[in-house]
This record gives sequence, C-alpha cells and structure tokens, in this order.
Amino acid sequence: MIDPVEMQNFFMAFFSGAMVIMLGALYALLLAWGRIKSSPAFVVAAYITYVLLTVFVLVLADTMNFEGFWNLITAVMLVGYLLAPHGIWILSRDTHTHEQEPSSIQS
Amino acid sequence: MNNGVLDSNNLNGGQKLAVKYFSVAVILFVAQILFGLVTALQYIIPELFFEVLDFSVARTVHINALVIWLLFGFMGAVYWLLEDEAGVETVGLKLGNLAFWVFTLAVTIVVLVYLFVQVGPGDDTTRWLINEGREYIEAPRWADIGIVICILVFFYNAAATFMKGSWSGISGVLILDLVALAGLYLAGMFYTTNISVDQFWWWWVIHLWVEATWEVLVGCIMAWGLIKLLGVRRQIVTTWLYIEVALMFGSGILGLGHHYFWIGTPEYWFTIGGFFSALEPIPLVAMVVHALYDSGVHKFKAANHPAMAWLIAHTFGNFFGAGVFGFMHTLPQINLYTHGTQWSASHGHLSFFGAYATIVIAVFYIAVQQWRGGVWMSGDLPGNGWKWKWSLALLNIGVLGMTMAMLVAGYEQSFIERAIEGSTWSGYFAAQMHPWFIQGMNWRMVFGIVTAAGTVLLVWDLLTIGKGEKRTRQEVS
Repeated sequence: MIDPVEMQNFFMAFFSGAMVIMLGALYALLLAWGRIKSSPAFVVAAYITYVLLTVFVLVLADTMNFEGFWNLITAVMLVGYLLAPHGIWILSRDTHTHEQEPSSIQS
Repeated sequence: MNNGVLDSNNLNGGQKLAVKYFSVAVILFVAQILFGLVTALQYIIPELFFEVLDFSVARTVHINALVIWLLFGFMGAVYWLLEDEAGVETVGLKLGNLAFWVFTLAVTIVVLVYLFVQVGPGDDTTRWLINEGREYIEAPRWADIGIVICILVFFYNAAATFMKGSWSGISGVLILDLVALAGLYLAGMFYTTNISVDQFWWWWVIHLWVEATWEVLVGCIMAWGLIKLLGVRRQIVTTWLYIEVALMFGSGILGLGHHYFWIGTPEYWFTIGGFFSALEPIPLVAMVVHALYDSGVHKFKAANHPAMAWLIAHTFGNFFGAGVFGFMHTLPQINLYTHGTQWSASHGHLSFFGAYATIVIAVFYIAVQQWRGGVWMSGDLPGNGWKWKWSLALLNIGVLGMTMAMLVAGYEQSFIERAIEGSTWSGYFAAQMHPWFIQGMNWRMVFGIVTAAGTVLLVWDLLTIGKGEKRTRQEVS
C-alpha cells in the first residue's frame, strides 16, 4: 500500500513536484540555447539546473514516501530528465539540417 | 481576393464551412465565460439564483459550453486546413453543412433544456431527454447519438477528401486521431448500475479525449500552423508530430490510471497511473523546446502576429497547465487529498485554456486573415495592434489569476478538509468557511472579470482586425 504524504510535508510535496517539471524544462531550454549560441556558460547553467532538479526529485521521493518500485521510478525519472533534452536537441538540430536560410546553429 | 473586407469569396468550400463552426464556437465561448462568472459569483453569494439557476445547472452549462466550443473550434480548424492539405475540394460538403446545422440545433436545444427544464424524475426519460447525469458529458442520450453521427460525417468529409486528394504526415495522423475521437465517445454512452464500472468507462471519454485525442489533434493543428505562420519545412513539423504523437499516446493512454486511484479499481492502478503520469510532461517539454527552436530559427518572422502569439501562449499554457499543474498533484500519495478540490479546478482551468483555447483562438486569427483576403497581420498594425495585445494579456492574466486563486483555495481544502478532518462533513464546511477559501473565491471572481474583459476585447478584435487593410500578408519561408 502507498503511504500518503505526511501533513508536515504537504507543501514540499506539491512544490517539489512542480519544480521537477519546471526545472526539467529549464534544463532542456538552457541546454538548447547554450548550443545554439555556442555558449559554455548556458550549458554549465543547464547542468546546474539539472543538479537542482535532482535535489527536488529526491525531495519529492522523500516527501511522497517512495518505496520499492517507486524508487525505480525515481531513478528512471532522473536518467530520463538527463538524457531527454539531449535527444530533443539532436532532433531539433537534425531536422533543421537542410534548412535553406543561413542559421547560427552549431552542430 | 477582396482585401480588407469579410468576403466569403476569399474562402474555399471547406473554409466557408469552417467559419460557420468558428462563429458558433465564439458564441459558445462567450456563453462559457458568462456562466463561469455566474458560478464564481455563487461561491461568494450562495443564494444567488437559488432554484432559478442553481450552481449545478450553471456549472453544467459552463463546462459543457467549454467542451462544445472547443469541439466546434477543432472541427472548424480541420475543415479550414482540409483543402489546403489535400489539394482537392472538400468531399461531401453538403452533408458537412447539414451536419453543422444539425449539431448547432442539437446544442441549442440541449442548452435550453438544461436551463429551462433542468431536472427530471431520474428515470430513462430523464436520461434520454434531459440530462444523462454524467459529469462533463451531461448531454441527454438523443444528443449523444446526434454528436456521434455529426462526428462521423465530419470524419467522412475529412477522410474522403484526403483519399481523393493527397495524403501527408499531418493528414494521416489527423485521420487516425479522428477515428479515436469518434470511437472513444461511445465509451460514455452506456449505462451500468455499478458506479465503479460506470466511472471506469466514463474516464475513457474524459481522460482519453482530452489527454490523448485532443492533444494529438492540436498537435496536427500546431504542425500545420507552424508551416503557415513561420514557413517551417513540412518535413520538420511532420517529424516532430510523429515524435510528439508517440510520446503523447505512449504516456497519455496509461496515464489514464491517475483517474483510477479512488473509484474502486484494483491497486495496481496506483503504480501504472503514477508511472505514466510522470512521463506525461515529457512531450510537453519537447514541444516547448521545439516551438522556441523553430521560432528562433525563423527569427520570429511570422505571417500573422496575433496567431503566432497565441501559438506561443499555447505552448507555454499547455506546459504549465497540463504539465506543471498536473504533475504536482497527480501521484496517489498526494492525489488522495487533492482530487475533487479546487486544486483540480485550478489545473483544469489553466490546462484547458493553455492547451486548447489558445490554439483555437490562433486558428480564429488565421481564418480572419484569409477571410479578409489574406491581409497583412504582421507588425505595424493600426493602433500598434493594441486590441489583440490587450486581449491576449487580459485573457492570460485572467486565467492565470483564477488558477492561482483556486490553487490557494484547493491547497486549503486538501489540508483542512481532507488531511486534518478526514473528508468528513464537518471538514467540508470547515474548509469552505476558512479565510483562505473565501479569499480564493473572491480573487477568482476578480480574475474572472479580467478574463471576461479579455474575451470582449478578443471578439471585438476578431470582428475588426484587418478591416480596410490593403497590404497583403507577409511572405514567410
């Protein structure tokens, strides 16, 4: 059986859930932007965002009382959020490879 | 082309039918807002319209108007792009026109019955003629059958036109999606005496329509919109469409499980629902990156600035409304407390607006541009385009404000009514009388009025934008 969130963890459970999604998107955007602009600073910022994302995933797992199979979900979530933006970037770059107009996008 | 005036000669057959759908959609959108204001006010003044227009009736009309105006908007959008995509005239247009009038008449009768008959004795007569009783799909059975027939005609128009003309990636996905759209509605059309079984199938319509077939439908509209507005190459949008459809169906179908937590279904739905709900935001993240990437590559040079702005609003609205507001209360450990509170309403308002209303409004602007002869709608509009900019701002601020107000109220309900008081009657009333709830409802009313102001401005703008404009639309590539 799943243990419900403790009352004292109410806020952090909601907040960490929201932050996981927002930081996931921010990480993807910073990574893409950093590569478009060839800016290492943005790429570093992206990975810092991912570290923050990891912290909130762990907070989420703790406040939601994840056990057993749910810990596997946590691990899959962390790996997925790390790799998915790279996949999204590769798709964005490759689908635009033959774009006619000149672009500043770096490979 | 007759520039600057609303002239049907500027439209092809499918587009003429589309603007009929759009016109009814706009009327229903206004109705949705009006009844939303009434229900919001009833939270503040509970005796308002008591036994004349009870909260239950006003809420039914508010939500049904939303569902139907979006459906009219989607159908109009498909008719709009049909000939353009297929390269031939719409097949069965007369039948399509007939279905439009039947659908519109049926919707009118259903709303009048909701308003003036309201309730029945609760037997088969009620279910067939007045109200089926299933939340969000209350339409009586005769109307259900009519809706399915109209959707089938719509499907025939679209499929036959593509079969006669040419297929594309967008049209292929679209047609397969329409099969699901018509088929899934049938799941809400049979009655069982077991409430768990009834809810099980009811969710097929509610969840799978919204989080699978509608999402894919707007994916198709978005793909076509990016080609038209930014000049993105078809190969790019088609590739992304396939990926997004795979991700949406891959996560969205079994994401259905998050609705099966508390209706008496087996415990394994906790795991299935939790896991697939965690995946559901991924296509939304991909969509944000992709849309910004395309917009950036094309330097935000768009043939229709209002439509482009609404497409961007759609991308972010979909992400925040469905992704962020969905995920933060979807896992069973927390959903135990939040389901059915104002938290759900908060998520519902932002996600329906962000994911669906925005993109339909974008198509309205695309339609108006062509209806006025393909006029200029990029930068340097008369008055600097203040009407579309203000309506965009007011509608987004209004909906976001309502969302936050309901979030505060929902948080308080989850905490006091559910977690502390254990879902008892006393807990219910304690939560309803709490200052956070009352203030949340007051702020919801304020932002509801802001939303209504934005709607009025939007309608005004749709009726006037491009009027007298002689410049032709900006070319994009």
